[in-house]
Amino acid sequence: MSITVENLTHIYNKGLAYETIALEDVSFTVPSGEFIAIIGHTGSGKSTLIQHLNGILKPTSGEISIGDIKITDKRVKMVDIRKRVGLVFQYPEYQLFEETVYQDISFGPKNLGLPTEEVDRRIRKSMQLVGLDFEEFAERSPFELSGGQKRRVAIAGVIAMEPEVLILDEPTAGLDPKSHQDILNMVEEVHRETKNTIVLVSHNMNDVAERADRVFIMDSGKLVKSGRPQEVFREREFLSHIGLGVPQTTEVAALLSERGFQVPEILLRADDLISFLAERLPAGGV
Amino acid sequence: MIRDITLGQYYPGYSIMHKIDPRLKIVAVMLYIASLFIVKDFMGYVVVVIGLATVTAISKVPLRFILRGLKPILIIIIFTFTLNMLMTKGEILWEWKFLHITKEGLYNAVFMALRLVFLILGSSLLTLTTKPIKLTDGIESLLKPLKRMGLPTHELAMMMTIALRFIPTLLEETDKIMKAQMARGADFETGSIFRRAKALIPILVPLFIGAFRIAQDLALAMEARCYRGGEGRTKLNALKLKRKDALAMVFIAVYLGIVILERIFLIGLDAKIIALLF
Ligand SMILES: Nc1ncnc2c1ncn2[C@@H]1O[C@H](COP(=O)(O)OP(=O)(O)OP(=O)(O)O)[C@@H](O)[C@H]1O
Ligand SMILES: [Mg+2]
Repeated sequence: MSITVENLTHIYNKGLAYETIALEDVSFTVPSGEFIAIIGHTGSGKSTLIQHLNGILKPTSGEISIGDIKITDKRVKMVDIRKRVGLVFQYPEYQLFEETVYQDISFGPKNLGLPTEEVDRRIRKSMQLVGLDFEEFAERSPFELSGGQKRRVAIAGVIAMEPEVLILDEPTAGLDPKSHQDILNMVEEVHRETKNTIVLVSHNMNDVAERADRVFIMDSGKLVKSGRPQEVFREREFLSHIGLGVPQTTEVAALLSERGFQVPEILLRADDLISFLAERLPAGGV
Repeated sequence: MIRDITLGQYYPGYSIMHKIDPRLKIVAVMLYIASLFIVKDFMGYVVVVIGLATVTAISKVPLRFILRGLKPILIIIIFTFTLNMLMTKGEILWEWKFLHITKEGLYNAVFMALRLVFLILGSSLLTLTTKPIKLTDGIESLLKPLKRMGLPTHELAMMMTIALRFIPTLLEETDKIMKAQMARGADFETGSIFRRAKALIPILVPLFIGAFRIAQDLALAMEARCYRGGEGRTKLNALKLKRKDALAMVFIAVYLGIVILERIFLIGLDAKIIALLF
């Protein structure tokens, strides 16, 4: 399902002394099935932007369409939007409330009014996708799990709604390196399997570089740059100017080329850099 | 949504009202509330409105923002208004079956509803222009005489500070949880009362867990910084009365004086004016 955003502006506390312009004239389109990453400094408006995509926040001005539904239209039913667009919030584990993992994951699908067997099927499938063993976890209380496991339960709760657009707001914040990789691989896996549109909000360039089809850069409420990772991460100076970096691989490659090495134009994947270096270094040590 | 609640909320600003000693403001609000009960007719309300308008203008808090504080208690106001209007005996203006509206009832209803409105507006000005920390500093200082009688004033004030400090945090938390559950298709707005009450569970459970988490973190953080209670604690910004505070005192004295004089000498004048007009 495609996403179209036109001239979206959002002002918090409009008209009061402390109003904040969180988004200013943001426009973009995401074709169906694309994997998009949104990166930006703290407070640049990423969370505000994605909360518009499933109608949780209403724009101050501007229009948003998901597929052929204009969700900024007042007559649109919220359930129809929520069915299509799944949103995983920052620190989603704080929204768990049920007695068992199974019941918690069932909350979303049940709200969609699905029959019991279908709900059950989806719970099993989403638990498998996020890497939680059904037999082991289904009947446990979500509150006795570790942070990483809780996060998986919360994400499963949204995946189980089988949205055609899946949005994740910094799903790896505050996790250990292993869970961090697991969650990202899981998102990739979901993307591959369901062919849905993914919007991933992240602070981490390395995560984004290898996975996203396109990268959107936000700065102080504006969409300042968008394009394929190769194009966007070429602009090291611009990115560091707005408080962002480039992926480590790109950084190393750039520093090597400053020292006179003939490095291919842009390197995003660690593997590519390693094979490039391995070719040039004498075997058995420098 | 939930952030619309302005009762007890602070409105940042740099007006004189924001800078006046909190103790003085607390006492002033108490005197103001007393004055509302001294006033017995609409002529008195003229004085109240002038006083309130002056203070509001000085505070630079937008009127729209102050009036929003009335929203949560609108039902109470309407309830009082209706009861007063229907329950007072006197000269009948309108009648239908067992219901009747009297001249005195109408007068009382408007009078009581206005008293409530003024009560809320006046006291919300206190919280709108005073930071919670300063407010509790003021309360602690005013309660000091009771310390001799064994009342743990510092601890009470600290509890109050913490409670006030975490109101916005909890509101924010509620807002976040509501949004998250809405994204999972939760519906808080339709259905019977029973269904709506049940719909609150997905909000309340995470909220309570969050509140306990915050409380625990805070207790740990305070202990880590060697907090031991009030004994021998000094303040970074000790409260001291300044010249503008003296001006404020004069203002309050004049206001109270006029209210009392009106009560003594002009009482009943409004009824005559109303009689002349209608
Ligand atoms: N509910 C709110 N009320 C008022 N202002 C808000 C609210 N939520 C966000 N803001 C403000 O809007 C701006 C954008 O915030 P937003 O949460 O969208 O940033 P973000 O890019 O997601 O940041 P982070 O990386 O820290 O999550 C910030 O200046 C923030 O202070
Ligand atoms: Mg955010």
